[in-house]
Amino acid sequence: MIQILQQLINGLSIGSVYALMAVGYSLVYSIMNFSNFAHGGVIMLGAYFGFFFVTLYKMPFWVAFFGAGICSMLVAVLVERVAYKPLRARNAPFLYFMISAMGASMFMENFVIATIGPTFRTYPQVFPPQPFNLRGIYVGRLDMVMFVISCISLVALVYFIEFTKMGKAIQATAFNPKASALMGINTDFVTIVVFALGGFLAGIAGVLFGMKYTVYPQIGSITIKSFIAAVFGGLGSLPGAVIGSFILGILETLVSGYMMSQYRDLISFSLLILILVFKPMGLMGKSSEEKA
Amino acid sequence: MLEIKDLHVYYGGIHALKGVSISVEKGEIVTIIGANGAGKSTLLNAISGIVKYREGSISFKGEPLPKLPHLVVKRGIVQVPEGRLIFANLTVKDNLMLGAYLRSDVNGIKRDLEMVYELFPRLKEREKQMAGTLSGGEQQMLAIGRGLMGNPELVLMDEPSLGLAPLMVQTIFKVIKDIKSMGKTILLVEQNAYKALATADRAYVLEQGRIVKSGRAQDLLDDPGIKESYLGVKVNNRG
Repeated sequence: MIQILQQLINGLSIGSVYALMAVGYSLVYSIMNFSNFAHGGVIMLGAYFGFFFVTLYKMPFWVAFFGAGICSMLVAVLVERVAYKPLRARNAPFLYFMISAMGASMFMENFVIATIGPTFRTYPQVFPPQPFNLRGIYVGRLDMVMFVISCISLVALVYFIEFTKMGKAIQATAFNPKASALMGINTDFVTIVVFALGGFLAGIAGVLFGMKYTVYPQIGSITIKSFIAAVFGGLGSLPGAVIGSFILGILETLVSGYMMSQYRDLISFSLLILILVFKPMGLMGKSSEEKA
Repeated sequence: MLEIKDLHVYYGGIHALKGVSISVEKGEIVTIIGANGAGKSTLLNAISGIVKYREGSISFKGEPLPKLPHLVVKRGIVQVPEGRLIFANLTVKDNLMLGAYLRSDVNGIKRDLEMVYELFPRLKEREKQMAGTLSGGEQQMLAIGRGLMGNPELVLMDEPSLGLAPLMVQTIFKVIKDIKSMGKTILLVEQNAYKALATADRAYVLEQGRIVKSGRAQDLLDDPGIKESYLGVKVNNRG
């Protein structure tokens, strides 16, 4: 029993970081209807920003953490301006967006390999390694921090989307860009805001993920996990992305804990294929009807 | 108030508007009638900045009109689009408030919200409902109400009666007159030519991207050619 609870807590912790990545993914999908594969590159750069801020510039952790978020936000907006805006301006087919996204992703990865190098780097110990003991269940401090930060960020995001004017504009633009423009909403600016939000969350997720494991140029491939989570929950749905992420995180830790960790990704990808075959809209996805 | 000169719009290789010139004066209802595909919606979308035009000019209150949708709204021109395009995933009230997106005059917004609720009491009753659950007629009311929330000087209406039951069509045309009496100017695009001409002050007839006739709405209503082509009346021409 204790062991199951232990695995559940580990799963929630990693799931919450997947959620940070998946909501950015989902937001961009809801506005632009394509899967932003450059998201992984931004996560990777976030991990590096944080790493160098802490090690090279000796910044206090929280300064480095938010600094990495803000730098990643700028990168995400830059990617949108350079790789997607010209395509949007001439109504290019969605395939072009996907190709452009992959190009941007590969560019970022190889840029890091060429300038910083392909080596694995480890964050210095920021949080003491001794875990908390909650009635026999051990919770690592980093896991706790990951969970709390992710939850705060997600709540803040939901508040922003549901209760602010800009949030309503994002929802309106996701539903119908033409009607939104006719209401006076600057849909181009809304797109920038969405990339900025997604970029910031990707950046801090990158830092947390880099601290939990290691930092290396291909760390962005983790984005495939957030993609699975977003598809599982229903692409374009924020609650769906969060729920999908938690389920994926828990599933992965249970598989690693009770079967073999090598099976972990096998199970994750099987799940993706099963969803796509049997429930392509995911748990809470927008139906195509609603989109029309 | 609105002056369009020699407007040309192309969709790829298709020449959709071939030199359209129209004008709308303050306080008028001007209607554009024409068959499906004549270019009526294209004309409204060109004004709204949704569709780019290659040649020609649009000026509003003596100044050239910007070509980006949100800037057009800012100048005081709001479109109530064909098919209503309400935000089905948001509440009725949210939809109305999005209509006031560019405004920051809290009291003015409040006053206009009351005005819209007075115009459409049904919307007040359904304030908190998701807009997608409204009936077609209610959705049209919402689309019009949402447009009015932007406090426009000129309202562009694209097929407001499309797909509505006859009784609702009556209501909508009555509302259009009410909006005029609020001092607003209306450019109305309609397939229901009879209703449109009966409501408007002036009218243009658009055929295959060209204005082929224009004049007082009442005169066009009596025009034999119009009667035959657009009003479905067989004219007995005795010479």
